Amino acid sequence: MNEIMQNIKFYDCRVIEGSSSSVILDNGKIEEISRNFMRGAGIRALCGGSWGYTAVEGELDLDRGVLDASKLAFAMDENTPKEEVELAAVAPPVVKNLPRIKVDPRDVPIEEKVELLKNIESRARVEGVHSTKVMFSESEFKIMYRNSEDVECEYELLNTGFAVSAVATENGVYQAGRESRFGYGYEVFENVDVLGLAEKAGKTAIELLGAKTPKGGTMPVLLDQELAGVFAHEAVGHASEADLVLEGDSILANRIGEQIASPLVTIIDDPTLHEFGYYPFDAEGVESSRTEIIRAGVLNSYLHSRETAGKLGEETGTPGNSRAQGYSMPVVRMSNTFIDNGDSKFEEMLESVRDGMYLIGSRGGQVNTGEGIFQFNAEKGYLIKNGELTELVRDVSLSGKTLEILNHVTGVGNDLKMTAGRCGKGGQLAPVSDGSPHLAISRALVGGA
Amino acid sequence: MYELAKKALDIAEKAGAEEAEIYYVSNHSTSVNFKKDALESAKDRFSEGIGVRAIVNGAVGFASTNSAKDLENTIRIAVAEARVRENDPDWVALPSNGKYPTVAGIFDKRIEAMKLEECIGYAMELVEGTKEVPGTLPTSGAFTRGMSRQLILNTNGVEIEEESTAISGFVDVITVNGDTSTAYDFDVSRSLGIDFRAIGKHASELALSSGNGITIEAQKTNVVFHPFAFSDILEAAFAPSLDADNVQKGRSGLIGKLGEELAAPELSIYDDGLVEAGIESSVSDDEGVPSQRTTVLEKGVLNSYLYDSYTAGKEGTKSTGNAARGSYTSPPAVGLRNFIIDYPQTDLIADTDSGVFVNTVIGAHTANSISGDFSVEARNAFTIKDGALDKPIKSLMISGNSFDLLKNITGAGTDVRKVGGFISPSIRVSDMSVIG
Repeated sequence: MNEIMQNIKFYDCRVIEGSSSSVILDNGKIEEISRNFMRGAGIRALCGGSWGYTAVEGELDLDRGVLDASKLAFAMDENTPKEEVELAAVAPPVVKNLPRIKVDPRDVPIEEKVELLKNIESRARVEGVHSTKVMFSESEFKIMYRNSEDVECEYELLNTGFAVSAVATENGVYQAGRESRFGYGYEVFENVDVLGLAEKAGKTAIELLGAKTPKGGTMPVLLDQELAGVFAHEAVGHASEADLVLEGDSILANRIGEQIASPLVTIIDDPTLHEFGYYPFDAEGVESSRTEIIRAGVLNSYLHSRETAGKLGEETGTPGNSRAQGYSMPVVRMSNTFIDNGDSKFEEMLESVRDGMYLIGSRGGQVNTGEGIFQFNAEKGYLIKNGELTELVRDVSLSGKTLEILNHVTGVGNDLKMTAGRCGKGGQLAPVSDGSPHLAISRALVGGA
Repeated sequence: MYELAKKALDIAEKAGAEEAEIYYVSNHSTSVNFKKDALESAKDRFSEGIGVRAIVNGAVGFASTNSAKDLENTIRIAVAEARVRENDPDWVALPSNGKYPTVAGIFDKRIEAMKLEECIGYAMELVEGTKEVPGTLPTSGAFTRGMSRQLILNTNGVEIEEESTAISGFVDVITVNGDTSTAYDFDVSRSLGIDFRAIGKHASELALSSGNGITIEAQKTNVVFHPFAFSDILEAAFAPSLDADNVQKGRSGLIGKLGEELAAPELSIYDDGLVEAGIESSVSDDEGVPSQRTTVLEKGVLNSYLYDSYTAGKEGTKSTGNAARGSYTSPPAVGLRNFIIDYPQTDLIADTDSGVFVNTVIGAHTANSISGDFSVEARNAFTIKDGALDKPIKSLMISGNSFDLLKNITGAGTDVRKVGGFISPSIRVSDMSVIG
């Protein structure tokens, strides 16, 4: 055993304990009330250039976990020796500025939550909507971190929020509207007009029934804050993750300092903001900090873990973006990612697009970071004719090459808005937010009928 | 926790549950991961937990935990939640003890006994396979083996215990010279026997042959979907409409269509929890209903939706054994078992004069699962000319509707593949809209 531990350069443990609950209201009826308690730990050990990792649940024996992870790392390095991993040095984190919570969701009786959901449901059920779903969720987690460099830190976070969807049908056509909001205390339901959002979801579903599916093609487009935010996250943010850069799977590899976008574009990742992707320190105990990925069109920084920062050097950015779902093995991830405000007005951008399409909202999308291509489906859109919004359209998507789109940005609005979501990478989901002001793009491929 | 699970039913009844169900699962998996061509990490994951359904006055409460010391509290919370809810007139009962089939080939003790060194060996085979094709590099990949033990107990006498194993491997590759192109391949199996070297080699060949793609005109043409692409589209844009829960709640494009001819008359689709060595095969579904084979589509005609016991009870019909759970932390809901696409097979590419062959798609999950509309980006796509693959296509969007797609199927290949639980050959669809 001693022989093994002598060869272990670094180990760390993340212990997570907490609970989550959810209530689902389906067509006005409670479909599910559930609660989950969990306790577990993820333990990493580094031997030469190899990582060993153990995840355990329930009753934890951390010393044994460290030993098991160390054995895995040792065996890996013995079987396939490789270049040593050097972790970038970091200072121990100062845990500060946690979101302050006014109303702890655990103090709100379940009956009151059910009542709120029923109110949301009835507002989403505007005339013509024939099916609704409302989901409430809350979770409270304590994260305790320690490593072989004597760092020990912890924090607790509460999340709460809701999602509503409404479906309308007519002549065999189905269309859905969706809205959701998440925050850090039950007061999110007071600070946000949740009933108004519910009604908006219902109205969107009805509105889309009457929308046409346009002809696709290459044209100038205007993106709303949500879709432009998805572009910032999916197409640019993922390609800036240094693990993908190192794998040779990023279009942004070897481009630090290069002008890769229109000078109008600045893209930032900031985990210190009290948005859905907030954390005070990351999954390696590194204090969170703001990163300018692109500054005025120039690629400025990648997003890093300690390992990737050690490999690529500090001129390519600093650690602090290592994240994990529960006690999974941490990977390089985004937090709150957004295109920074510019100074164009909505009407000016509409006028500059002249004849094209205004694409609104997102139904998700995917990106190939290695080739720098992406595809996102918008929730809806409007045709733009002569600089004016005309007909409503649906089933529209945006696709293209990341770098071309970045260079074709001709206007950045001053109305930044963030949207909460969950991002998947390596089979793990992490809470994130992304956003942007309105964005005008001179040429993009729009998919339609 | 396993021993505790057996006592938990008593605790639930004492706490006031009229019916109760204990779902216990434990998993142990080991994976060896690589980045580029170097093995990076070995991971061992142990997980176990219990999910409890408690029924009081026809209302269900659910709670779960992975900690033995929280189990009593968890059971009480499930009962308390059930009490908060109003009586659900659609609730009939938890499943009763049935007659269970035998399922072959889902446990391989060689996988259970596998040492780390063997896992490292298989991961190396994936990497070495890619090296047989010069000009490409793996970006990432992994070998994983896993074992699982599941126990389902309820107060109506169900007591099902089952063990299963699986191995899987995947690799992403990228070309290193000139025009950048990428590809991936993967396979999963219940027992040893996957040729990992061949997976690596195939991914590299595909990446290499996809380089220097041409652009094609927007058109309507024949599209041949590889099983990877076909399964992605059908799972996102068709399967949700078969879920009886969606049908009952007005969220399915197949409402009122039982007995209607929906698809090409030679197409049949089966949902089958009994396939030998199937990834979704087991003695029972995730609430203890015996697994079965259900004819979903027979010669183009819609024959059945898919039910768990709750949705079946609501309609006064029988469960098709489709209760599924992502983990012990969630109550069961309707899910697919092995999903089999059956269509007369030919030498498909050779039989196709012109069109497009698509290996994989991205963005299928953005489909409208009710209307069936989808719009996806095709990856590793090639033109078909005079019965052979011709040139790679740089960028291609395919949009359509899954219900129309099933009507327009005109052929299937002989290359049946298990994409997880989705079992299908390559499928040719006429009149698809593509934009280059």
